[in-house]
Amino acid sequence: MHASKFWQAATRYGFYCVAFCICLITSLSTFANSNAQNMSKDLVTRWKNIETLGNNQSVYFYAWGGDAQINAYIQWAAQQVKTKYNINLVHVKLSDTSEAVSRVLAEKSAHNNDQGSVDLVWINGANFATMSEHALLLKQWANKLPHFAYTDPANNPAVNFDFGIPTNGMEAPWGQASLTFYYDSIAINKQANNKLPTTLNELLNWSTQNPGRFSYPKPPDFLGMSFLKYALVVLHQQSSESIKVQLNQAATANNTAQVLTPLWDFLNKLHPTLWRGGTHFMQSGAQMRRLVDDTELSIAFTFSAPEVPAAVKRYDLPKSIRSYAMADGSLSNTHFVAIAYNASHPQSAQLVANFLLSPKAQAQKQKAHIWGDKSVLIQSRLTPEQQALFKTAKPHPSALPFNSIKRTLSEPHPSWVNAIMQGWQTRYGVSQ
Amino acid sequence: MSVVSNKVAASHGPHARKSHDMFSKIVKLSPRFLLVLLLLPVLGGLISVLLPAFGYAPALDQTTFGLQGFTMLWQTPGLVNMAMLSIGTGLISTLLAFIITLMILAAFFNSPWLNRIQRLLSPILVIPHAAAAIAVGFLIAPSGMISRIISPWLSGWELAPNGLFPHDSFGISIILGLTLKELPFLLLMALGVLAQPELGKKLRQQHKVALNLGYCPMTAFFKVILPSLYPLLRLPILAVLAYASASVEMPLILGPNTPPTLAVAIMHWFNDVDLNLRIKASAGALLQLALTGGLLALWLGGEKAIKVLFSDSLTNGVREYGGFYWQKLTVILTVLVIGFILLSLIALILWSVAGFWRFPNALPEQFTLLHFKSALMQMSNPLFNTLAIGLVTTVFAITVTLLCLESEQLSDKPISRFTSLIIYLPLLVPSIAFLFGLVWIQQWVNNQAAFFNVVFTHLLFVLPYVFLSLASSYRRLDPRFARVAASLGAAPCKVFFKVKLPQLFAPILIAAALGLAISFGQYLPTLLAGGGRIATITTEAVTLANGASRRTSAVYAIMQMALPLIGFILAWGLPKYFFKSARV
Repeated sequence: MHASKFWQAATRYGFYCVAFCICLITSLSTFANSNAQNMSKDLVTRWKNIETLGNNQSVYFYAWGGDAQINAYIQWAAQQVKTKYNINLVHVKLSDTSEAVSRVLAEKSAHNNDQGSVDLVWINGANFATMSEHALLLKQWANKLPHFAYTDPANNPAVNFDFGIPTNGMEAPWGQASLTFYYDSIAINKQANNKLPTTLNELLNWSTQNPGRFSYPKPPDFLGMSFLKYALVVLHQQSSESIKVQLNQAATANNTAQVLTPLWDFLNKLHPTLWRGGTHFMQSGAQMRRLVDDTELSIAFTFSAPEVPAAVKRYDLPKSIRSYAMADGSLSNTHFVAIAYNASHPQSAQLVANFLLSPKAQAQKQKAHIWGDKSVLIQSRLTPEQQALFKTAKPHPSALPFNSIKRTLSEPHPSWVNAIMQGWQTRYGVSQ
Repeated sequence: MSVVSNKVAASHGPHARKSHDMFSKIVKLSPRFLLVLLLLPVLGGLISVLLPAFGYAPALDQTTFGLQGFTMLWQTPGLVNMAMLSIGTGLISTLLAFIITLMILAAFFNSPWLNRIQRLLSPILVIPHAAAAIAVGFLIAPSGMISRIISPWLSGWELAPNGLFPHDSFGISIILGLTLKELPFLLLMALGVLAQPELGKKLRQQHKVALNLGYCPMTAFFKVILPSLYPLLRLPILAVLAYASASVEMPLILGPNTPPTLAVAIMHWFNDVDLNLRIKASAGALLQLALTGGLLALWLGGEKAIKVLFSDSLTNGVREYGGFYWQKLTVILTVLVIGFILLSLIALILWSVAGFWRFPNALPEQFTLLHFKSALMQMSNPLFNTLAIGLVTTVFAITVTLLCLESEQLSDKPISRFTSLIIYLPLLVPSIAFLFGLVWIQQWVNNQAAFFNVVFTHLLFVLPYVFLSLASSYRRLDPRFARVAASLGAAPCKVFFKVKLPQLFAPILIAAALGLAISFGQYLPTLLAGGGRIATITTEAVTLANGASRRTSAVYAIMQMALPLIGFILAWGLPKYFFKSARV
């Protein structure tokens, strides 16, 4: 009797309990749901606002202007945003991105906090580190762009970190690049002492056998710096984990010598074999390309692989050029667009950044004859129609063969750029 | 009838007096306006560089004065090399350009060849430094035109050899480039002086007298002409010296970079990602100022020394100093210079239409108009900017110059020595020293008016040349015309517009063409003042020279030459066309 009563009570309470729990869960989940809906609603209204405010304006896009192909792509993008939003996208052609950094800084110092001349800027690595350190960039906008979801940010850390530094929504990813080598197949004739070098060590041997046929742009040039970083990372491939870890951390007075010594040892051996005996270095990657065309150099490298076939088509490189990736790894990174904190047209700049992230713009950019810059979008996040935009045509003989990058090397912490540059300057900056 | 005449009288009387007053007032004020226009930006710019040099840079949160900028500067590895390279290339190239100018003048004085040489060299004047540097670099590079002509049949080179030029550590390539570029400028300046009717006539007669007295032509030139000619050439020479010691384009393209010249290093520091380098850059700009100032002083001192050392030889009666051999040497030098320039122009044109062109072929494998097509497609906006800025700047510069020169004649005394020195200030102060400061000020005063800022900055460089070009013609106008007109009751305004300006039609057009050419060629001022927003043919050309293909650069360089050339052809042709009927 007691027992049955007890069970009755227990069942009743249990029933209440379950009912309560169900109620609780449902209400909680509706609450959470509505919260998520509110969130995305906020985002949608935010974007609606931007769309209304951003139309019919000018956007000054500060971007490196040294490549005709890239310039033409930016012109195409300008036409697109003109028809789409009536935005007048002006490409301000820089010879070095740091010019834009200087400009924003000069404006900040002149207390020009909302009428800045830089709206959008093409940036990554050390320039980004400087701008974010001096609070020169607009924050928390890039991760709210509608097209940002296509980059699968949850599973793709590359779009949220720039050389290991969190972007905090200050940059929208634009493309990906890997260090690619190219050579003159007439000059490298596969004889015993003239075989194509595919590792850093082979490169040193090859350059010793063929003096004056290889060099790299003088730091702080971006490409020259990239070669030094590639060498640094490769030289540490066999090092202990404790040293390897240092590469992803800031350079300090304590670890600099230890990490960089192998690089200096390597360069001491390499430099006497270089073009001009290592006493003069070219200014830029484009100058290096010109020296290959002049047959002064036989091996060179670039961070934008498609520029090689494009240059051959424009007659800027001989037909005998072939591209390849180093077997010991290719340094890879993502590049971004950012908005200056004092941009005159921040909303319009966001519209442009969002357009640059669209499948249409990314697919156009990835085409080898347009620019050939690798897309930052993740295919699985796209609809089949969007994926179809990325289908490719038959590659040019000078282009990097498909899937030849077997191993990517990630960029060391940006502070190493400065450490390498200063060490380089004191060791090799003054030749006597 | 009477109504009409009344109306005419009314409109003539008070109105004329009023405009006369207005005009005189404007004219009277114009020299002061000119002073403010030139002094403020240059001095303001210098101060804005001075403050950061001594550690005051609010932008970098540094507001205490100190010497850390200079400490950083002294610790720069290779600073002495940079300074020596700047001094050496500046001084030697100026000396060479000056000496060759004198030799050409001396050897061909009073000969028709002088005019022919002038015609051959004057187009060089309008080639921007960057384009000239590219052309020179292509000739002397290991894969350059000279090397291609002798390969492989003579040299056996199948690939370009390991070479020394350009970028040699002694700066020989820079010296070569600067000399070739400044030589035509000095020669044209000298010929301009000799073209003044009275002075030229007097000098030519004196030269003839010396020849009759048995002096060899070259000796006669150095003993009779040079002492009268040199004082009028001094300012252009000093401007060349100042420019050569602090220029950026030539050393950037032709010079060594371990280390580069001081000016190039300063530019890199200013543009460096590490913003604290700004302080060092400002200190460096001051060092550059001191270097250039020292060079100018050295030159003036050298002048004095030569005057003392050689004053006896003017009157020692020696007729001949191996004139024959000097003459031959000059001919060889002139042929070399002109040959060099022609070869580089041919190379430039070949590059602009070249398909594949592998070393050691002396000619391209195929020709194509692709580079012209793709360049022209992207050129419309920069072209419009170039022309608009050039025209606005030039018209303004000519107006101010004419008013200042008129004020000289109205008040009947030449503008003060101080004013005439200030006019050349922007040419004597290294632009890298004050431009960064000037931009700082422009940022602060009006940030959005990029076009205005560019025009204003161009004016600093256009005005001196326009003044230089117009002053002599204006001052040698026969004053009797004006006096006759005034005595017939014409107001100063009317005399100015109806009597003086028509007589000056040809010189004004030449000054306009020169002003346009100077404006077209500006790189650093356009880039800095416009904040990079204003693209001109020249800024595009330098960006491309730094980046893309030699073929596209060649197209831009050709455009850069074509624009000012069109200006000069118009300036030479229009007066002939307009005054043909008058002469007949």
